[in-house]
Amino acid sequence: MTKTLTTRRRLLQGAGLGAAALAAPAIVRAAPASANFAFFVSTSPFMMAKGDGSIEQAAGAKVNWIEVGSGAEINTGMAAGSMDIGFGIGSSPTASGISQGIGYEVIAMMDNIGPAEEMTVRKSANIKSPADFKGKNVGVPFGSTSHFRLLGFLETNHLTQRDVNVLDLRGDAMMAAWTRGDIDAGYIWSPVKSKMLAAGGEIYKTYDKLEAAGYVIADLIIARTAWAAANPAAVAAILAAYGKALETYTKSPDDASVIVGKQAGVTAAVAKADMAEYDFVPLKTQLTPAWLGAPGTEGKFAGVLKGTADFLVGQKSIRAAPALSAFVKAINTGYLAKSVG
Amino acid sequence: MHDWRSVALGSLSVATGLIVWYLIGALNLVSTDLLAGPADVWAALVDILHNGYRDTTLAQNILATLGRCLAGFAAAAVLGVPLGLWMGLSRMADAAINFIIQFLRPLPPLSYLVLLILWFGAGDLSKIALLFMGAFPTITTATMAGVRQVSAQRIQAARSLGATPRQVLFFVVFPASLSTIFIGLRIALAGAFSSVVAAELMAASDGLGWMVFSASRFLRTDIILLGIILLGLFGMGLSRTLVVIDKRLIHWRGRE
Amino acid sequence: MTRPWIATALTASALAAGWLWLTLSGAVSDLFLPPPRELWDALLDLLQNGYKSRPLWEHIADSLIRVFAGFGLGAAVGTLLGLLMGYLPIVDALAAPFVEFLRPLPQLAYLVLLIIWLGIGETSKITLLFLAALPVSAVAARDGVRNVSQARVRVAQSLGASEWQIFRHVVFPSALAEIFTGARLAVGIVYGTLIASEIIAGTTGIGWMILDAGRFLRSDYVFVGILIIGFMGIALDRLLLAAEARWVHWAGRQ
Repeated sequence: MTKTLTTRRRLLQGAGLGAAALAAPAIVRAAPASANFAFFVSTSPFMMAKGDGSIEQAAGAKVNWIEVGSGAEINTGMAAGSMDIGFGIGSSPTASGISQGIGYEVIAMMDNIGPAEEMTVRKSANIKSPADFKGKNVGVPFGSTSHFRLLGFLETNHLTQRDVNVLDLRGDAMMAAWTRGDIDAGYIWSPVKSKMLAAGGEIYKTYDKLEAAGYVIADLIIARTAWAAANPAAVAAILAAYGKALETYTKSPDDASVIVGKQAGVTAAVAKADMAEYDFVPLKTQLTPAWLGAPGTEGKFAGVLKGTADFLVGQKSIRAAPALSAFVKAINTGYLAKSVG
Repeated sequence: MHDWRSVALGSLSVATGLIVWYLIGALNLVSTDLLAGPADVWAALVDILHNGYRDTTLAQNILATLGRCLAGFAAAAVLGVPLGLWMGLSRMADAAINFIIQFLRPLPPLSYLVLLILWFGAGDLSKIALLFMGAFPTITTATMAGVRQVSAQRIQAARSLGATPRQVLFFVVFPASLSTIFIGLRIALAGAFSSVVAAELMAASDGLGWMVFSASRFLRTDIILLGIILLGLFGMGLSRTLVVIDKRLIHWRGRE
Repeated sequence: MTRPWIATALTASALAAGWLWLTLSGAVSDLFLPPPRELWDALLDLLQNGYKSRPLWEHIADSLIRVFAGFGLGAAVGTLLGLLMGYLPIVDALAAPFVEFLRPLPQLAYLVLLIIWLGIGETSKITLLFLAALPVSAVAARDGVRNVSQARVRVAQSLGASEWQIFRHVVFPSALAEIFTGARLAVGIVYGTLIASEIIAGTTGIGWMILDAGRFLRSDYVFVGILIIGFMGIALDRLLLAAEARWVHWAGRQ
């Protein structure tokens, strides 16, 4: 009896060791990598700089690329201190993060979104004016820049969320809902936007009026303040690498589209069409007062962030928005200036 | 005999399922844009085996998911079984700790994932913590139940033969509660496997769950289906393994 | 031997003290662990103003309805299937591959497919919960039938009972204990899957509330929501335990 018990215990121990061996890599990986960069898989010149390793080279350390699906994930990761740079976070989650005192700063813009995120309506729904949205189902990913735009659209047209049924839908869910006819409109970016358009949709233009009303949305590059301060040369080099990719796109968009398409898993033609809708503000232009402003000065974008934050407070998404000065402080173009200078 | 008949029927069942799946796409009952057919999924598998998926190999994703699952499960077992033994034997330990465990047990892991990421970062540690938190209460509770149902007679008999409390624990209580402990382990492992996919929903860069969600963002239903099939097969594999270990080690369960 | 409740009180107060110290001393930011005052305020706010313009009880009710509908249908159909599987080897052979595949399959993984097939309304959510409950209930019922003591069945047969009577008076009552164990497991799984199901389209549900609050790092709402979910879960489990005690009171007598 004792002998079989020992054998059994040995077997259990063996199984335990085997499991531990399988689990060991996971435990080892739990220790942080040298640099953690969050990003979105998207059609943008950034994907070139990521794909050819120039950003990693500029960072001078092993980069752990963390793919995220929303700005909220970047906020969570930054709050936890386990992300160092966030590429492509929307202005809406950024305003939210700054308001909540998460320790990061805006170091550059990726793009001014403009018409790239827009309302697509079903042709058969016959929506011609804002009032036609009453009683309709509109899908949008909650917490995103599109959500911010859509809420702005409702606000500026005096529609409430009881008039219009706003549904929280991520890209794939929205596509399915669209195909099934469960929603009449969707406010989102490509590739879902172009797929909806191809399947019986048409654009309902909102961005021009909304931008005029101050609902500017953009994708930004943020860095954890402490990490950036500890690695200033690397940050400047990373931004320079991004700037180079941007130049390549501007000079030869066709070639760039091939590379970007491969990185994003879409055809070159789709990549080109998508990228054409974004306003990729050149690095030097970002330093002007119209956008982020030169180091130590206030650019218009601080006001955009403040306005976004105030709007979110009104929506009860965040508790309070700090004064404009906090947003001015949260934009640090020192590294950007070094990268172009 | 009876066995080959059930295997045949089972295979027939699965084959019918595959045919229905193929027909749904071929007859365009659901557009192949939204539901890839078997051929597309096979093509995706071949493609990923050759070229990987977004700079990750299939093997890497499989090992990442299994590794996290086993790490969290093993940690929960290594901590939960001894704790459960102690709590089952000591009323004070039970009173001190059980209320925490019973509150954690019905909590769905996904509800506190964001908190875990905040506390433990966006890497593997928060995911393993998630799995641990899901499995630990189940294992502890099952161990406690196992200890409690050990016949008092047996313990008395051992004591009367002069066994020390330690010997009683190792040679009477522990073996007698093993079958119940194993039931808890099997349930916990199933739960951990389910949770590992949920954990890969946020801030993950590899894993089968990550692959499914990443593909869903770009509407690649072929990769989604491939991921689901692989997850199902590995889930079955893990279950089976524990069942086999259970049968081999605890074969006296029926004899009570 | 001192009374056990003293131990409970001791740990509870140690936890409370630890919580107060961590939050009030500023050792941990509010984002990570909100102080008790914030949680209380958040709870009051939720009770008074609801979440995103819907009252709190509506969110709770929506979640509970989904749980009951999904669990009810899944457990009912699953138990029926399991009974058939236990009785008829042919049904067992045909259904087993699907049940065995579905059982360990992580729910979130096939959620996307369900949306594609069933849309974004309640149907896809309840179907997900249904599919989560079904395999566990089926296996429990099947095992319950299989484990019925053959001696008992033979006694009934020798007394001239019909097949149906044997089922009703011997097999079913005997299997009921395992069916209930399966039901408790199923509720646990369904409850866990509920959060997953509320990630998709919808603007209600206590699980959705936590996820939405988490998006904006409103840790206070997240904590309150988790507490509510925790207590709801305990209540559900207790409910089933009570039902089990009433209907399976002979389970101990084996």
